[in-house]
Amino acid sequence: MALFLQRLVDGLSEGSIYALLALGLVIIYRGTGHLNFAQGEMALFSTYAVYQFGEWGVPIGLAVLMGMAVGFVLGAGTEVVLVRPISRKSPFAVFIVTIGLFQFLNWLDGALWGGQQLPSSAMGSKQGKFPSLFPNNPTDYFNVFGAAIKWQSFWMLVLVLVIGGGLYVMFNYTKLGLAMRAVASNSESSKLVGIRTGTVLMVSWGIAAAVGALGGVVYAGLTTNVNQSLMFSVFIYAAAAATLGGFDSPGGAVVGGLAIGVIQNLVAGYADEWVGQQMKVGVAFLVILAVLLLRPAGLFGTSKVERV
Amino acid sequence: MSLPIHLRSGGLPSWAIRVGATLSVAGLLLWIPTHGSDSLIDTCTTATMLMAAAMSLNLLLGFTGQISLGHSAFFGIGVYTTAIGVTRWGWSPFVTLPVAFAVAFVVGVLVSLPALRIKGVYLALVTLALGLVFPAFVKWPKIEWLTNGSRGLDKTGFKFNKANPTYELFGWNPWGNLRGQNVKPFYFWVGVSIVALVYLVCRGIVKSRMGRSLVAIRDNSTAAAVMGVNLAVTKGIVFGLSAAMCALPGSLSAIRTGTVTPDSALLTVAGSITFLVIMVVGGSGSLWGPVLGAVVYQFIIERTSGWSDPNRIPGAVRPLFSWSDVAPGSGIFALTLILLMFFAPFGIVGLWHKAVATVVTVVPKPAGTASVVHQETAPPES
Repeated sequence: MALFLQRLVDGLSEGSIYALLALGLVIIYRGTGHLNFAQGEMALFSTYAVYQFGEWGVPIGLAVLMGMAVGFVLGAGTEVVLVRPISRKSPFAVFIVTIGLFQFLNWLDGALWGGQQLPSSAMGSKQGKFPSLFPNNPTDYFNVFGAAIKWQSFWMLVLVLVIGGGLYVMFNYTKLGLAMRAVASNSESSKLVGIRTGTVLMVSWGIAAAVGALGGVVYAGLTTNVNQSLMFSVFIYAAAAATLGGFDSPGGAVVGGLAIGVIQNLVAGYADEWVGQQMKVGVAFLVILAVLLLRPAGLFGTSKVERV
Repeated sequence: MSLPIHLRSGGLPSWAIRVGATLSVAGLLLWIPTHGSDSLIDTCTTATMLMAAAMSLNLLLGFTGQISLGHSAFFGIGVYTTAIGVTRWGWSPFVTLPVAFAVAFVVGVLVSLPALRIKGVYLALVTLALGLVFPAFVKWPKIEWLTNGSRGLDKTGFKFNKANPTYELFGWNPWGNLRGQNVKPFYFWVGVSIVALVYLVCRGIVKSRMGRSLVAIRDNSTAAAVMGVNLAVTKGIVFGLSAAMCALPGSLSAIRTGTVTPDSALLTVAGSITFLVIMVVGGSGSLWGPVLGAVVYQFIIERTSGWSDPNRIPGAVRPLFSWSDVAPGSGIFALTLILLMFFAPFGIVGLWHKAVATVVTVVPKPAGTASVVHQETAPPES
């Protein structure tokens, strides 16, 4: 029981990272109907920025907020400069551009901060490890039914629920949220009733990238070191989470992210010999495949009616 | 004479251009291994591998419109089939090429099964996951007896006799004396042969009835199905062939380097993205696009590989790149890709066609007039 609870909580805390990135994917998909392949790399760039702010002596809480601001600017800028002009041509071109952005940002991170892993390789670094937003000393845990729950896991779960709840309130009870839903539902008509669709889409991309940045920082704090391939696997887990929850449902993204984290940890824990840490990504692959084949709209998504 | 010049397809000038282009490509292919430096031959061999991989992706993505980010897995299947065949079972490296082709074909057909239901970016997700699973699968403890896990395999290439190199191709040594004791030209020729084979297969498909059904699937799959294209069979064959052709350069890479590790660049998702970017920069949906893309890509990477040292950057661009100690090749190429999407969505080949169209217009032969005496008609105004 204690072991099960332990694995469940570990899964939930990992899942909360996937949920944060998946939320970003869903916000963008709702707004413009694109899958942002550079989501993980945008988060990675902001994570590196947080590290840099830490090097300059900014306290971690403030550094994270500044990193989210960097993410917001990056996301909003991408929408205005790249996605908007190109989406007039074809959605396929947008896909290619996000792939190009993926490669470009990945290179830029390496070029700016060195190709090696941070922070252990950074000579003269003030930080021994990547600053964690939450207490992560070995002694920072509390016991529930014999399972040692880290405060870090607990706060990560709280964080994702707060962010998810905040986005829910924003979508449903604010004017901006209403505008975002209107644009997602029918961009032409919302333009006619006076919504500035351009601004709304720009803000959506910004929020998505900022939420993703938070996920990146929390993940980097969990693994305590950062390298250029940090986000490859997290992105696919986040995509699996968004697929499972439904690509147009923010609540689904949170549930999907937590579910993917729990499934992975339980499977890897109980079928250690067969799955282990190596084949965790195989679990995500099977989840994506199964969901897309059996219920393409995901658990909470709305299915699309195809017109011929 | 006013521009554009009108050229009749099948006429003498158009044939002269064709023959001239073929001869110059052939001349270049002969010049590189016989007179080029060793590093040039190496670069060109790598470029041929990228060409073949990008061409195989082009058949699937450029012509059929099925997005795949999992081609690194198919490339890896080639790598590992050769490595396992040579080291575990003592096969001759060349025997493993057709085996790798067959294995990758089967895997490709299997991947096509979900692709019948999954479309667009969702297919990209599934194939991306496939690309991520492959290196993990190779490192999986359960099959370590075959793949040697994350340590990889070595001695996967030819066993050369240093004193008197014989290339063990059925006891026949066709290319060995081009450059004396050097084995580099040999790999170059293998690479060129693979590219030629892949090109001919792609061309054969694209110019046939099947190629037209591929384009129909890309442009409107529902309409294609209504017009009698069997979606399941067509997609299955294309996925299988594309995967199989991508495995061939993988095999060459295992033969050439002699060592195989699951984390080498082209076997991970970064490889898939490289293939895709090369294909799009060259020109998706065109037969020569991936060839040009691979040449440009490899040229940029080679030229900038030393730029991690600021002193080796040419003076004119030094202020642009001296701030970083990482070679800027992949960044430059990614930026090129993004810029190309703005003004030339069909890549270098698209740009070339645009440029040529301002100078020369090729007038196609009127249909069904093969036996009719040539009648000089005014070229259509357009």
